[in-house]
Amino acid sequence: MPLGNLLGFVETNTMTLWGRYFCFAIAAIGIDLIWGYTGVLSMTQAFFFCLGAYGIGMYMTLSNLPEGHQLPAFMEWNQVTELPTFWAPFSSFPLAFILSLLVPALFSLIFGFFVFRSRIQGVYFAIITQALALAMFLLFSRNETMLGGTNGLTDFKYLLGFDLRETSTKLGLYFISFIVLCLIYIYSSFLTKSKFGKGLVAIRDSESRMRFTGYGVSAYKITIFMIGSVIAAIGGMLYLPQTGIITPGRMDVQASIEMIVWVALGGRGNLKGAVLGAIVVNLLYSIFTSILPGGWLYVLGGLFVITVLYLDKGMIGLFQQIQAYIKTFFASDKNNKEAENEVINVSA
Amino acid sequence: MLKSKLLFLTLILGTLSFTAFSFEKTVENSVQTLLSNNKTELDSVVNFLVETKTPHTYALIGAILEKRLYVKGTKAYTLFPGIKSYYEVYPEFKEAGNDVVGIVPLKLSRKYILKFRPLSKYTQLYTPVAQSKLNAYQRFKQSGTLEDVAFLTEQLKTESDEKVKTAGYEAIYTIWLLSGDEQLEMNALAKLGEGASDQMLDPLEQYLKKKENAPQDQSYILASELISDIQAHERFINTAQNLFSGISLGSILLLVALGLGIIYGLAGVINMSHGEFLMIGAYTTYVIQQCFIAYLPASWFEGYFWVSLPLSFITAGLIGLLIERLIIRHLYNKPLESLLGTWGLSLIMIQICRSIFGDITAVKSPELLSGGIEVMDGLILPFNRLFIIGLTVFMGVLTYIVFFKSRLGVKIRAVTQNRNMSACLGISTKRIDAMTFFLGSGLAGIAGCAMTLIGNVVPNMGKTYIVDSFLIVVVGGVGKLVGIIASAMGVGVLSKIFESFYEAVYGKVIMLAIIIFFLQFKPKGLFPDKGRLSEE
Repeated sequence: MPLGNLLGFVETNTMTLWGRYFCFAIAAIGIDLIWGYTGVLSMTQAFFFCLGAYGIGMYMTLSNLPEGHQLPAFMEWNQVTELPTFWAPFSSFPLAFILSLLVPALFSLIFGFFVFRSRIQGVYFAIITQALALAMFLLFSRNETMLGGTNGLTDFKYLLGFDLRETSTKLGLYFISFIVLCLIYIYSSFLTKSKFGKGLVAIRDSESRMRFTGYGVSAYKITIFMIGSVIAAIGGMLYLPQTGIITPGRMDVQASIEMIVWVALGGRGNLKGAVLGAIVVNLLYSIFTSILPGGWLYVLGGLFVITVLYLDKGMIGLFQQIQAYIKTFFASDKNNKEAENEVINVSA
Repeated sequence: MLKSKLLFLTLILGTLSFTAFSFEKTVENSVQTLLSNNKTELDSVVNFLVETKTPHTYALIGAILEKRLYVKGTKAYTLFPGIKSYYEVYPEFKEAGNDVVGIVPLKLSRKYILKFRPLSKYTQLYTPVAQSKLNAYQRFKQSGTLEDVAFLTEQLKTESDEKVKTAGYEAIYTIWLLSGDEQLEMNALAKLGEGASDQMLDPLEQYLKKKENAPQDQSYILASELISDIQAHERFINTAQNLFSGISLGSILLLVALGLGIIYGLAGVINMSHGEFLMIGAYTTYVIQQCFIAYLPASWFEGYFWVSLPLSFITAGLIGLLIERLIIRHLYNKPLESLLGTWGLSLIMIQICRSIFGDITAVKSPELLSGGIEVMDGLILPFNRLFIIGLTVFMGVLTYIVFFKSRLGVKIRAVTQNRNMSACLGISTKRIDAMTFFLGSGLAGIAGCAMTLIGNVVPNMGKTYIVDSFLIVVVGGVGKLVGIIASAMGVGVLSKIFESFYEAVYGKVIMLAIIIFFLQFKPKGLFPDKGRLSEE
């Protein structure tokens, strides 16, 4: 595809769009690790995604301030005279980069510690995280939290001196997203094959047995919850420069559940499935919102229902079923032929 | 002291009525000239009326200022907004019945109306509407001068409404208080000491501000004591009001959470589309109201709400039944899958609703439920919220009876505890599931019908309540009736109290923190199962 772009077949906009899909796929891998492998349904992943995006967004807001302005425009409208202290570290890129990863990690560590310690699991965990997503969405939508309110952070032109409107920058971001996606995919598949990963699967399949065998189930869960949220934050950090806007709307209750459906549709407990699901659903979204704006919610709702009713293992599971079916079909075909040959041999 | 004051007042009043009498002839003539709309003399007549300030022309001038003057011969009439009956404004101020034959409206030009404008603070007192009269008295607190006191006292003599009377006297005390005359100030403070409404807070604070630099004498102490009394009363009212709206919020949450909790306990299904049954109930109410407007006589309109209550239960219940049979029954005991599937379902339902009804509609509350009871000074409990609380109590008791005193309830509880065993014992679990879904969805439908009393009807109204309702189920314990009731009330009241201290958003965040903290100690809710049942 990048080749096609260089040759002029593929439009740059499509490239950016795919770059964004990759970011979503990164977040989906995080969800798959938490939900697909460990069986913990976290409904607040979009919030971590946005934490990453906001971290980079704050840096970009500060580095893109117009000449002569000390403060972002939305703060001036709210009669703020001084930059809030928590904004200060975001004026340097390395600090902003580290904080964008550290804040979600710490947040998930603290939240996870309290929640997993009291053995809140299954549905209870899902509902608590959903409430967290709602509360954070409301908090970020306020003006006095100094994060741009419902309008979010936007109006960026440069990132580290690169002009975001240049085609080369867009291409660069596309490549970086792709590479990061690959790296995270490799890391995750390594993780799932390790002893730690096997432990996660064991927790999913029988948590009490794991606990009785003497494993620190909570520690496992907290760790994977942290890893998942940091991965989501990485997705968010790459997402922002490619869209140019981040609003609290990206982290509402709906957004988190949609992310889960990407994984469910693609095939949970399978990293390929997560990536596939994220890309397919977002592709569908782009197609439907352009041809049938009112119909998208029907499609999305239908996807939810069909996935849970018929696609237990997602699209990957479906492919595998078809594959297995074809294999057995051919195999039996071969057997028949061999049998026929034998019959012929015998008769001869 | 007081006696001499009264003497002084009567003296003033005497002179006033005397002057009024001596001008009687000319005032009468002037009014008649005005009523006959004699253009040539209008200028001088209006000037004369403005200068003399005769109280018994005020009602007439009020009618002129409001541009609602009607004339019949030598008498003048007016109509007050919101009141059908005509009022005579000259020569007397009294009610004149629904139709007065042969009256014609009289319009004066803007020039004259503007001339009367300075008298408006007096003329506004001449109204049969208690609230307007009260407001008119309140205005004297800012604009009143010592000269007005005599007029006000005269007016208040014939006043019968207690609240208006208090407002009137407080206006007088305010004028005294801010007059700068020490004697009058002490008088006012003494009077206010007998009981001051919270409307006196501003004047008292103004008074203190004025005295800030002066030595802090007895009057200063008295005034600050009064202020702290009023503030304590206000705080009490606020707390009571918060408590009340917390309980009414809790009762709506309870209606939603009841069905949710029962269904989850029975079938292990997290029904994220439960909020949409609330929406269905609300839209049923809306449709029935539209039908009443379109097909039935207007006098029946009031009845629509009482028809829609049971109908919204049935509609929501039936749709719930349908969805259970079509989709949800495949998701039994798969809570996480059901959570996603029903979320998708709710998206579809919201979109369908939006394409049928549009984005926002409102239902008009029935007359019977508008207004409220004033329990004490300043504390008003609106009827619609009281009704919601009553409805919730009724439905809660009904659910309790169905659950614990009926055969159906025994079966539902049996299936909740052990599905296979119940099936072995001859309970048709399928039918029980269907019935439970019907009841649970119906409860949400009733909640939706009740919601139309206090808010707009929008397609995604269910989403506002669903997350809170789930938190309630989590705190209360799954399938536990008592737990759900206790936690619904707790969450409702607490979140209203936090909202009054902080912004609504922070209230929500604090609430969540409390719930997580609470689950540290009671991970299975308020009333957990004990023994063998408790293991997953």
